[in-house]
Amino acid sequence: MDQIVRYFFDFSLMSSFWPDILRGFLITVEMSTLTILIGIPLGLLLAILRLYRLRPLNWLIIFYIDFFRSIPQLVLIVLAYFALPYFGLVLEPITATVLALAIVLSAFAEEIFWAGMNAVPKGQWEAGRSTGLSFTKTLAYIILPQVVRMSIPPLTNRAIGISKGTTLGSVVAVPELLNVTSSIQSNVANPTALTVGALLFLLLFLPFVRFTRWLEHAYAHPRS
Amino acid sequence: MTARSPETIVSIEGLRKCFGQVEILRGVDLKVGKGEAVVIVGSSGSGKSTCLRCINRLEEPTAGTIRVGGQEITGPKVDLNLLRRRIGMVFQGIHLYPHKTALGNVTLALRKVVGLSEEAAETKARHHLEVVGLAHKADSYPAQLSGGQQQRVGIARAMALEPQVMLFDEPTSALDPELVGEVLNVMVRTKEMGMTMIVVTHEMKFARDVADRVVFMDHGAILAEGTPQEILVDPQHPRIRDFVMRSHG
Amino acid sequence: MGDLVTTFLNIDVLSQVWPLLLQGFWMTLGLAAVAVPLSVLTGIAIAMAQDVPSKLLRFFLIAYVDVMRAIPPLVLLIFIFFGLPFLGLKLNEFTAAVLALTLNGSSYFAEIFRAGIESVPKGQREAARSTGLSWYKSMIYVVVPQGTRNVLPDLISNTVELVKQTSIASAVALQELLRSAQLAQGLLYNPTPLIAAAIVYFLMFWPFVRLVSRLQNRTAMSAA
Repeated sequence: MDQIVRYFFDFSLMSSFWPDILRGFLITVEMSTLTILIGIPLGLLLAILRLYRLRPLNWLIIFYIDFFRSIPQLVLIVLAYFALPYFGLVLEPITATVLALAIVLSAFAEEIFWAGMNAVPKGQWEAGRSTGLSFTKTLAYIILPQVVRMSIPPLTNRAIGISKGTTLGSVVAVPELLNVTSSIQSNVANPTALTVGALLFLLLFLPFVRFTRWLEHAYAHPRS
Repeated sequence: MTARSPETIVSIEGLRKCFGQVEILRGVDLKVGKGEAVVIVGSSGSGKSTCLRCINRLEEPTAGTIRVGGQEITGPKVDLNLLRRRIGMVFQGIHLYPHKTALGNVTLALRKVVGLSEEAAETKARHHLEVVGLAHKADSYPAQLSGGQQQRVGIARAMALEPQVMLFDEPTSALDPELVGEVLNVMVRTKEMGMTMIVVTHEMKFARDVADRVVFMDHGAILAEGTPQEILVDPQHPRIRDFVMRSHG
Repeated sequence: MGDLVTTFLNIDVLSQVWPLLLQGFWMTLGLAAVAVPLSVLTGIAIAMAQDVPSKLLRFFLIAYVDVMRAIPPLVLLIFIFFGLPFLGLKLNEFTAAVLALTLNGSSYFAEIFRAGIESVPKGQREAARSTGLSWYKSMIYVVVPQGTRNVLPDLISNTVELVKQTSIASAVALQELLRSAQLAQGLLYNPTPLIAAAIVYFLMFWPFVRLVSRLQNRTAMSAA
């Protein structure tokens, strides 16, 4: 038992490392936030574009969402960091990671929004248009609010899943939380750093996981 | 009153049921003899269904004793699964398994509860489907059957286990009017076969024609019980008279 | 254009490294073949177990699910592979990867199966139990089959995610497909192996990704 404490909970050992750990944590938070701020609006934009039903554009969008949902995130990050330079595009590790994750999130977000748009009854469009609202206004004032409301549970679920992918940045040497705690662990030959890292990840993501649970419950039992 | 019922199949004593603060059943006493058809009537909220569902413990009694076939079933150490083999239930919502054929619906318990072989279960199931007049629909899925046909399969599913008593919880209330008759006919046939039955229903004609005894429940207690003549045709109690006048059929 | 091909689709390079890539491919499949069934079965068990009357047990089940959904799988993997040896528990790369993937995957499957179970009308359970079927048997023969059908798109989607996630095993140098491609790329200083791996991943998953989209759009439209 005290083996466990000695190896995994020796917080005093961490004293000199807290600044590094904090920095790593902040980078993780920054990357997750950027991923979501870029990915979700991009996904919404793609879904709206798809609504215009322009054949060639649609094929492109569908290829985009299929491609970026089929390739593992780590592979995309590695590609972004190692293969793009051959195109003359050299990205910082952190940029490559956020870019890859945001694009993947946008692909999943598009599908979620698209499913939402298909779920809104056709009658809603007809009602809006028949009162003289243009296509765009009907979309903005009548359809989108319903789509967004419907999409929130699956979207938050997916957003959490993908922003956890910031840890994959450690593979291309982004100094995010996992990377930092991993290095500390190998430096001092004590995995307490890993415990700290895990706890900080829990601190960051568990509230959102609990929030999605609450959301799903609230959606299933609406107070009409 | 039915004279000298040979054997009491179901005996309910002092049954009380509370849902939180609300008392749904306020002390119900009822005895049902072998081969008897007892019909329970009353307005919504009178506790008729709750009373029925306590018998196979789909609802847990708050207080009171229930005996089925002589065995007390409200005790703590009762094997519910064994108990429910002896009690058949037919639901208002029918609840056929949509992913199984009519035959599959009837054979499931025969195979997995009674432990019959596949052939033995199938033979028995086909026989009971024949009794309800649906042998030709054995391989159909519930979605392909009308509501009346589905409920008849539901009756076959319960009868196949050869229970000591059949409980019918408003079996026709959810059906379109044209489909009610075929289900009631099967229920009449069930009575003629000598099955002990407790039926909760709004079908007054059925109650008048088929019941040996009618029980009128009101606000969680039995207000009166007697022959169909005494309760439905010539009711004494003003509340019951009101109720009968308001009901059709 | 020719330059692009020699860089990214170099046949020469490919012919040298394809045995390595093939090995990696089998390893990826091997990981999936073990992790997916384990995750699914564990997930079903956890979902079914949430029926227990014990509030305490339910609390622990939900806590497990939420914690495993909140911690990034790579963190789990690093913790298992580098941290556990300090307690004398030294797992090989394959086992560590399977364990990490299963801990993470089972929590997502548990959520999906739970949603499936709860989507089956209560009357089905009552009907089954009224014929004497035990809780367990009515689950296995009546509730779970129907529930699974209801959540099939999510199940497929999650399975795809799980198999995609096998790529994180590259971080502990397990030679699955991504790692093999990285090794080959390092050997020959050419990104063709990475592109080849990406194409293989795409071919593996795209049919299922497309299928899931189809299924989800169909249910969304029929619900409307």
